[in-house]
Amino acid sequence: MAQHLHLKLVMPSDPRYLPVVRGAIGSLAAAMGWEECDCRAITLALDEALANIIRHAYHNQADGLIELECRESGDELEVTLLDKGEAPDRTRICARDMACDQPGGLGTHIIRDVMDTVCYQATPAGNRFVATKRLRKTK
Amino acid sequence: MKISVRDAGEAKVVEVEGDVDLGTSPDLRRTLFENLIEAPKLVLNLAAIRYIDSSGIATLIEVLKDSQRRNKKFVLFGLSPAVQQVFRLTHVIRIFQVFQTEEEALGSA
Repeated sequence: MAQHLHLKLVMPSDPRYLPVVRGAIGSLAAAMGWEECDCRAITLALDEALANIIRHAYHNQADGLIELECRESGDELEVTLLDKGEAPDRTRICARDMACDQPGGLGTHIIRDVMDTVCYQATPAGNRFVATKRLRKTK
Repeated sequence: MKISVRDAGEAKVVEVEGDVDLGTSPDLRRTLFENLIEAPKLVLNLAAIRYIDSSGIATLIEVLKDSQRRNKKFVLFGLSPAVQQVFRLTHVIRIFQVFQTEEEALGSA
């Protein structure tokens, strides 16, 4: 029976560590078979999710923790982020009108555009973000 | 991320190298705003940017809007495929003046 990758790491809520995680996610997506353009998009989407946690859940305080878990399941990548900061305001997620030219609120739209499913949950363990993306094989 | 600035006639050309993300975009923002005050035209070279996130794009939108308020020019050139992809995903490419080369960017009205 084929074994699947299960990557788990914990990062401080410090933007200095974002390049480290981007490197891991990009490499993982490439190993699963995504093309370069998709690897970049997946990396960007998950980096945006991490940045949102740092900015909005931990208010740019670097002493919080974020758990990141990536699971390969068949041809699907599932990514879970868990934090213990302030819960997201659901009314502000994707509230930006993409036709406008205001600078804020771009990240959640990127996440929704890139990933196939996105879910925000408040759990006893903290705020859970779960996103999946299915690999579409090209000939 | 590395940033350098040089004069090109009346314009200032800002060169950025590396990753523009939540941690580094405040430095880019500060440099762009400082130089926008000093020149009628600010030209940003994006060719050596490996990665840019929405905080970087938001910075560019802020500078563009400020340049319009001050009746100055803020133009971009040298977008790599990786940077173009982020501009597409954020649907903001239409609001910027984007050129292939520095010469075109400097020569634009």
